[in-house]
Amino acid sequence: MERIVTRFVATLRENGIRVSPGESLDAVQALGTCGMQSRRKSRTLLRLTLVKNVNDFPTFNEVFNSFFSRYQFVDPEDDLPALLDAVILEMDGEFTYLNEVRDDHDDEQGPLIKIDSEINPEDLAELKSLTEIDPDDTDGTELQVQMKGYREKAKKPPRPTRRYTQNPLVIELGKGNSYESSITFTTEEQAAMQEVVSRMMLRLRKDMKRMKNNQNRGKLHVIRTIQKNYRHDMVPFQVIMRRKRRDKPRLVVLCDVSFSVSHASKFMLLLLHTLHNQLLDVRSFIYNRDLAEITEMLANMPVNDLMKSIDTGDIIDLDENSSFGEVFLKFKNNHLENLRGRPAFIILGDGRNNYGEANDWVLDEIREKSRYMLWLTPEDRETWSRGDCLMDIYGSYCDKVEVVKSVDDLSLVVEDLLRDIYADQAHPIDRKLLREAKAAEAKSYDSSDYYRRGTNNDSEPVFDPDGRKHW
Amino acid sequence: MVSTITQQTVSDLLKANGYIADEAIATAVFLAIRMEKPILIEGPPGVGKTGLAKALSGALDFPMVRLQCYEGIDEGKALYDWEYGKQLLYTQLLRTQLDNYLSVSADLREAVERLSSEESLFFSKNFLVQRPILRSFLSEKRSLLLIDEIDRSDDEFEALLLECLSDFQVSIPELGVITANRKPLVILTSNGTRMISDALRRRCLYLYIGYPELEREVAIVRAKFPELCEVLARQMVEFLNKARELNLRKSPSVSEALDWAQVLSIMKANQLTPEVVAKTVGVIAKHQTDLQKITDLAVQELAS
Repeated sequence: MERIVTRFVATLRENGIRVSPGESLDAVQALGTCGMQSRRKSRTLLRLTLVKNVNDFPTFNEVFNSFFSRYQFVDPEDDLPALLDAVILEMDGEFTYLNEVRDDHDDEQGPLIKIDSEINPEDLAELKSLTEIDPDDTDGTELQVQMKGYREKAKKPPRPTRRYTQNPLVIELGKGNSYESSITFTTEEQAAMQEVVSRMMLRLRKDMKRMKNNQNRGKLHVIRTIQKNYRHDMVPFQVIMRRKRRDKPRLVVLCDVSFSVSHASKFMLLLLHTLHNQLLDVRSFIYNRDLAEITEMLANMPVNDLMKSIDTGDIIDLDENSSFGEVFLKFKNNHLENLRGRPAFIILGDGRNNYGEANDWVLDEIREKSRYMLWLTPEDRETWSRGDCLMDIYGSYCDKVEVVKSVDDLSLVVEDLLRDIYADQAHPIDRKLLREAKAAEAKSYDSSDYYRRGTNNDSEPVFDPDGRKHW
Repeated sequence: MVSTITQQTVSDLLKANGYIADEAIATAVFLAIRMEKPILIEGPPGVGKTGLAKALSGALDFPMVRLQCYEGIDEGKALYDWEYGKQLLYTQLLRTQLDNYLSVSADLREAVERLSSEESLFFSKNFLVQRPILRSFLSEKRSLLLIDEIDRSDDEFEALLLECLSDFQVSIPELGVITANRKPLVILTSNGTRMISDALRRRCLYLYIGYPELEREVAIVRAKFPELCEVLARQMVEFLNKARELNLRKSPSVSEALDWAQVLSIMKANQLTPEVVAKTVGVIAKHQTDLQKITDLAVQELAS
């Protein structure tokens, strides 16, 4: 039995579930304690002991069903009879009584392991092909079918306005990320997203925690200090400070959803709202020619539904040409008044105004109300002055303009931004520490000039012991 | 009693205490008792995570020790603390004794040595305040330790729990390691507002309690309110199941179902109609937007 559990654990690990040796010991112990009465029961036992995250349950069920199915060891290339014999020898007597168990209502019918010497390889192959014909049996494949449906929809011919890509860099953007043809996010993509964010959180957490602690320091809390120093005969060795009210940093995001940058926009929205509630207070807007706030929708709707309704143009009309000037004007009229707490302001767009009014003075007003302004554009600097692109004008109002071409770029930019925001609110001491850390990072080993180091202009390179110190 | 327990008796015992457990829950409880491992229970609010602990404490006759977690909880609140006041008071009261005791010594060095040899007097169990975890470890009877809403505490506190949960011991620098007399049955609950670290998960059995199936929920309602007729209970639960699909801000859970059942039985309602729902909607909907959605659903579903 130990061997089977170990092998099952190995399969789980292959499928990305992290199981520690201690947990597999638990599983063996649990099976020993409860005994194996039915397939369903054993599955419950294994799940209780091996899987520690509810998100891993579907994967576990899938692995369980495929692992403990009757044709698990069949691989057409292998020598089947020999393999079967070996397996039978190995399992002999352990599971034979389980063969009768049939009355459970799980996704897949069948005993834990059914190995019958009567079954020959041809039968097994036949059985295997049978299931291939009927893929709708399990949840997994049903989901796949559904996803396929979405993909098909996504592939249908573009609307008239989308027939021409608005600039050549659209293609560049498409190359950079994997969401090229997917309008909705698959579960895997969402899971990957979760992972990106949680990794990011881990990296940020250490810095932020320290800053938060310092931020919370206020005036002396007399009563608690006295209480705490009771043991020292009221000599205040330990000082307790009052806590300050803590603000979550606020963020306002304006995302262009016209075809040229829509992929990046959607990723951005998803990213920020995964962070929302954990670190940030995000208000999101999408625009094209019109402007609409989607904060509430993002919070309450499943992401895929929202992306679909954005795509079908239910929220704002996608067939219009984007117009930054108008959007800024609308933003000023409707939303600028109730921007509270000096938010950081992020605009995602290519700055192509389709030769409309620039209205760049609005940006000046927004700037006054925000602590930080960042513009993300998918276009390279060289093309900013070409055509109808107003990037140079708009960019001059912003604290920073970043070129973002892929999902990875974007997550880096957002991480940097979060650091900056937190640093901005941080205690002066922390700000100093942070600056020093940054400087140290910049100073840290740079290998680009390795071959030139230690040389005086045009003399021969000499051996430089310092250059290898970092090894 | 515990040694004679089997999986069947677990669910029977729980049922006798008004908790209808499904197979996964019964198995988890049985395993936790046998393997002496903590259970980590996750699930949406109001599905009976804490209720399970309460029912278990009644069913197994384990006294319950509850530790409610919150942001900033530390070892002084969870494990143990020194009773400074008492220590101070004792030194004041025993001053004359101390004087006598120390006056024998010839010089200061000897006095210090004499005093330090008695130091353990002041850091003894006499002056130790037992906080929930230590209390449950030192309890005479096997107890049930409920660590509620662990996701509200900080990472540091989680790390603090690791030693307690895997070895059932508490290290106190002044006293050494204190091991549990009787290993308590530990139940941790979490609403999933924060990811619990893998280290903690690894030490526990993991049980996810979601919304119960129709039959079980009807049974739960019937068990708590036997005076409610079967038909109404079923109708109610079916309605709630539909409401859960509405994508509400706060989906009605089992605790809301029970509240609602109570309200309906007080009102002596015998059938669910849109009017009845409209009157009692405040029990199941906890947000203004949800209120409207549920009344709409009632009109749509129950009008005929």
